[in-house]
Amino acid sequence: MDEQDSLEEEPRTPRGWSSHPPEKMLITPWIAGLGGLTVFLFVVFVVVWLPVHTFDPPASADWAPLSDQATKGRHLFARNNCFVCHSGYSRPQDVRQALYFLYPKVSQPGDFYGSDQSPNLLGTERTGPDLSQESGWHPDDWQFAHFYDARFTDPLSLMPPMRSLFSNGQVEQLTAFVETRSGKSGLLRYAGQLYAKRVVTTVQGFPQPYRGFSGAHKPIVEQKEVAPPPNQLEEAPNLSQIDRSYWLSGDPLPVTEGNLLRGKEVFLQRCVGCHGTKGNGKGPGARFFSPPPADFTDKDDACCGGDTGPGDFYFRILRGWTGTGMENFGERLSVDDIWRVVLFVKTIPNKTLREDVVPEPKDYITWQPSKELLAWVKGRQQLANNVSFSKTQSKDPFMQEAMRVFPGLNPADRVVVNGLGTPLSLTDAAAGIRAIYDRLLGRAWADAKRRGDKLPAASQRDIPPTVPGQQ
Amino acid sequence: MEEIDERSAGSGAAVLEAPTPIQAPPAEAPIRYPDRAARHWLLASVVWLTVVDLFGLVLATQFVTPEAFGNMSWLAFSRVRPSHVSGVILAWLTMMYFGALFYMLPRLCGTRGMWSERLGVWCAWGWSLMYLCGVVGLLTGHSQGREYAEFIWPVDIALLIIWSANIVNILGTVALRTIRPIYVSVWFFIASPIWLAVDYAIGNVIWRPGEIIGGAPSGALANSLDDAILNWWYAHNLFGLWLTPMLIAMTYYIVPRITNTPLYSYTLSLISFWGMAFLYTGVGDHHILQSPTPSWLKTIAEISSWALLIPVFAFTINILGTMKGNWDKFFTNLTMRFTMTAFFFYFLVNVQGAFEALQPFNKLQHFTNFVVAHAHLALLGAFTILGMGVIDYIVAQVYARPLWSRTLTEWQYWLVTVGFTGFFSVLTLAGFQQGFSWQEGIPEVNVLDQLHPYYIARGVFGAMIIASGIVQMVNIALTMRTNTIERRRRETMRVAEAVAPPVAG
Repeated sequence: MDEQDSLEEEPRTPRGWSSHPPEKMLITPWIAGLGGLTVFLFVVFVVVWLPVHTFDPPASADWAPLSDQATKGRHLFARNNCFVCHSGYSRPQDVRQALYFLYPKVSQPGDFYGSDQSPNLLGTERTGPDLSQESGWHPDDWQFAHFYDARFTDPLSLMPPMRSLFSNGQVEQLTAFVETRSGKSGLLRYAGQLYAKRVVTTVQGFPQPYRGFSGAHKPIVEQKEVAPPPNQLEEAPNLSQIDRSYWLSGDPLPVTEGNLLRGKEVFLQRCVGCHGTKGNGKGPGARFFSPPPADFTDKDDACCGGDTGPGDFYFRILRGWTGTGMENFGERLSVDDIWRVVLFVKTIPNKTLREDVVPEPKDYITWQPSKELLAWVKGRQQLANNVSFSKTQSKDPFMQEAMRVFPGLNPADRVVVNGLGTPLSLTDAAAGIRAIYDRLLGRAWADAKRRGDKLPAASQRDIPPTVPGQQ
Repeated sequence: MEEIDERSAGSGAAVLEAPTPIQAPPAEAPIRYPDRAARHWLLASVVWLTVVDLFGLVLATQFVTPEAFGNMSWLAFSRVRPSHVSGVILAWLTMMYFGALFYMLPRLCGTRGMWSERLGVWCAWGWSLMYLCGVVGLLTGHSQGREYAEFIWPVDIALLIIWSANIVNILGTVALRTIRPIYVSVWFFIASPIWLAVDYAIGNVIWRPGEIIGGAPSGALANSLDDAILNWWYAHNLFGLWLTPMLIAMTYYIVPRITNTPLYSYTLSLISFWGMAFLYTGVGDHHILQSPTPSWLKTIAEISSWALLIPVFAFTINILGTMKGNWDKFFTNLTMRFTMTAFFFYFLVNVQGAFEALQPFNKLQHFTNFVVAHAHLALLGAFTILGMGVIDYIVAQVYARPLWSRTLTEWQYWLVTVGFTGFFSVLTLAGFQQGFSWQEGIPEVNVLDQLHPYYIARGVFGAMIIASGIVQMVNIALTMRTNTIERRRRETMRVAEAVAPPVAG
């Protein structure tokens, strides 16, 4: 119908209009369609085309590429939409100035460099924690147990079990991604984790942990008898992973029924996945781990070992035990609650974990340090030798990491470990961690180069890592 | 089958209120519209609504008992969630909107049906099949790994082909129109599908197919942060340039139609149309205000998010002006009740969204359940409740008979309204609990434990929403099977005979 027609016949007005709108303001299909599209495309030019073509931040000093294995894991992560619960960047408000970081640093634009970072995994909601800084906080075997069933490692978790989603090979890839995704600082933590795993398993005579989900159907790993080196305290290697100031510290809280009951509550809420509802170290997750979770039911082991004082327990709950599945709870539990768990753990040999039992002060077993331990501590707890009080702090990140993993070692300490090539010392640990770090980073660079990924100048690779919060 | 005057047939009861057309056909015989395309799209959407709601229930269950579907990989939370989200947007709301569009457009353009009803029917089946393929992909771990853009490349292409066919159908109908000026709703019917086609194609980066089955996911920019900018620009425009304009178009049709009142202001309609096009397109970056992306982009997003209130208020005033003196319809006509409830929630979601886009408030609620509540306020409170009313209206019109039961429609309304209001309140509270706890430095897992009661309540309210969808499905199925006019006539007779029994002999 053209203009001529509409003059003869009164134009039909849409029923919703009382009168015909003024001719000048009339919208035609062309204006609605093409005009609307033009406005739309103009805004698209500003908010899409411009940033995509101008925003290309260079790689940050902390950035590291992903290995092939980790890239495959990243694809699995994306294909299964893990980002709907786990965000992929640490926001300014996430950073907490504490010793046991969950989000040690704010994500920088340069952290997202490189084509192996596509698609974006920034995420939209946090039902689970952010994973951008997850690398190295847990060993591989913890990741396997956690992927198999997150309740094994954290009874409060809402993560769906991943055992039916991934094969053994795929969960290895995912673990490789999670353990190496946090840039150089993450690789450094992971290197410390791997080094500590070697030390811990050697010291205690355990095999390497099962890989993938295979641990779910295997028995808990067996310990081989390891003869301790002569003229050395048996627990010396274990003590080297506990800050010296905690070695002989007692529990500051009184042994009251209230404290013990709260300790039991927290234990049942957080610890039973690995340590079991009986406290015997045979929780559902235990079979994944090497070394396996600690057994608290043995009076002798729980109370008279050289590294099982209240302070030692406290430190391990607070900061975790690098190289084992024991993670840090410093963020999740209050200081008092940790001490209450420590109080309660010392009553477990008296069957206080039974359902109908309220732990009582009489169940508490007081820890007795041995003469050997007292002598050992006396020789090593001198402030003059204590590196924490030295005015010159080490600038070497590998040394910083070694000190984080082995906070019980003095710079001059040499602890002999049978089966470990070198004695346990801060310099050897720093060198070992550095070797592992170099291997991880070198492999990732070689893989990225082979894939043809976008890489920064080679000098970026040589920038040493930093330990967030300790620069 | 007789046609009923559209004014009076908004819901089942309206027929009884205005009984004339049932007995005597109107003097001027109305156009007989085929409405085949509209029926296919709408009935499919009613079924999909229940399916995608059930996906939602699976998710709500897993928030309460994460082990519920332990060994069923295809029901894992992370795979069902995008199936639910994309299902709500593409299977339920988009099919409902297209169905309603195919019903309204011929009536607004004065044509006897769409340009091609047959094409519309084919597209309806193709669209459902496309969604089914996409969902099977998602449930077996084939996702693009980008939120709201999860469907893999082949499904994206299928979607765009069907979408383009719909655009052709719409433009063809508009070209054939006998009513020269195009009504406000038609502006949106023309512009909105075009916006979304471009938005979808760019947002899914369809020129980078990736490795479709194994390996690298398809459809993402190589640079991660650019990809995030694009991702969220696209995702927000699913709502801003498709779901919202269509809500506005539907409301502009339904309200004047049922109240039989001319639209309050033409100028306000202009502001709402051009304001949407200009201001909605650039807000996407407010989803990643805390990320390391360019500040100028965040500023544009924040300002646009607030300026957006201009078209929102223009629309709101326009509808309130039209409703002036017509609020009785809100109580008597169920479609009006659905529409105005949706209208209220739509207004609320926009005001809430503006505040969420402010940095200080964003810091508090970002990543929490507050955002989930906000998303449901838009997609459930506004779009879904509107869609339910629109479907009830159109089914009564198309089948030319009142709905089978007004009581069921009442149940449908109250189940979805109460269910949604509870759902929204619970998640908002949970969001505040999360936000304030995180500010204190309490880690996520500790807060999770406290959220347990909220999650249980959410599941219960969610079940009410599903019940509402099922009630609608049953009501519509029975309307299609039963001659409700005859049934009502008999009921009326029975009542009449009870009051005044016929004289014996």
